[in-house]
Amino acid sequence: MTSTVHLEIPASGAYLAVARAAATGLAAQLQFTYEEIDDLRIAVDEACTQLLARRGSATTLNVAYRLEDAELRVDVSIEAPDSSRPPLARDTFAWQILSAMTDEVREQSEAGRLWLSFRKVGGRG
Amino acid sequence: MAELPQGGRTRVSEVPNAGRVHQGPEASGNGTTPLNGRAVDRGHAKDLFRRFVETRNPALREELVGLHLPLVEYLARRFRNRGEPLEDLVQVGTIGLLKAIDRFDLDREVEFSTYATPTIVGELKRHFRDKGWAVRVPRRLQELNLSLNKVVAELSQEIGRSPTVAEIATKARLPEEEVLEGLDTSNAYAVVSLDAPAGGEDAPAVSEHIGVEDESLEALEYRAALGPLIAGLPERERRILYLRFFGGMTQSQIAARLGISQMHVSRLLNRTLAVLREGLLEDGETG
Repeated sequence: MTSTVHLEIPASGAYLAVARAAATGLAAQLQFTYEEIDDLRIAVDEACTQLLARRGSATTLNVAYRLEDAELRVDVSIEAPDSSRPPLARDTFAWQILSAMTDEVREQSEAGRLWLSFRKVGGRG
Repeated sequence: MAELPQGGRTRVSEVPNAGRVHQGPEASGNGTTPLNGRAVDRGHAKDLFRRFVETRNPALREELVGLHLPLVEYLARRFRNRGEPLEDLVQVGTIGLLKAIDRFDLDREVEFSTYATPTIVGELKRHFRDKGWAVRVPRRLQELNLSLNKVVAELSQEIGRSPTVAEIATKARLPEEEVLEGLDTSNAYAVVSLDAPAGGEDAPAVSEHIGVEDESLEALEYRAALGPLIAGLPERERRILYLRFFGGMTQSQIAARLGISQMHVSRLLNRTLAVLREGLLEDGETG
């Protein structure tokens, strides 16, 4: 069964704690371990920060959390006028962080919106 | 746009600096300093100081303290949102005041309050630094955090892997809700022993790896701003960064390797990332 939680926060670093806290609570439900939760929090921080750095005049940041059996998928997105440029290049340190902290990272830009998504499997100790 | 909260986590400079603070009481510009509805009569204060410098009479010292207590209270209130009772802060600030009184030199062409402010603020800052909490954390959360640290360490040892929130809650006899609160707090606030000089316990092992690590880090075309930031990190932080993000090691494995706790690795990692991101969002702000 899949449940989804949508979060819309002001496009400001001051609200990252909310995105992190939501991830923490949901991961706990999925029986993620303490370390996995910490990794997840780092990934949420990183993805949000990277998109905030591209926010331009965007006022909100959207975070969707999809809960599956033992897996949490997080989609972070923001409105961006210059969606011709990918949200995050793969040869960046940020991409490396996201890859190391999660099981899969994706980036996408379409119709004036930038996306960073990742998937993390929990409960593996 | 508001600043990243992580910035506050690591930067003690978030604390109102002395330069800014002392403009408050000095701003009136006339012969008295209105604080708390009370006024310090500067002529009287000067007279007291003159006599104190000559005689070192403790009674005069005490009178001087009483006279300038409003300044201490004023400055202590600047720090009151950090989870410490105001009266404790006033006490800490008073230590600074005493130091300033003992050191004040009448020949200096400077008002005592101007002279004393940095000393008092310095004492207050040191208080928070020594406690390891650079930003306000309610005492309850500090205690929760300390007990969770212990439980996580014990459980990891017992079961041979990182515990889940449910397991931590059972062991700590706390509702899961509270454990989550503790997790949220741990890296948002903890700066405990992070400022310990690098190159301590893990110093000997660093040199053999550092070349490889730098290569991996440099292979990335990270933003121009990030390069110097990473280069400027203490060796241990850089090493943890490398082992976690490039070496594929878990926090526990890194902890074992460096001989520190997993929670400590977590804190160091989070703080390092906060430092790196701070630069990034500042870029975002201006660009």
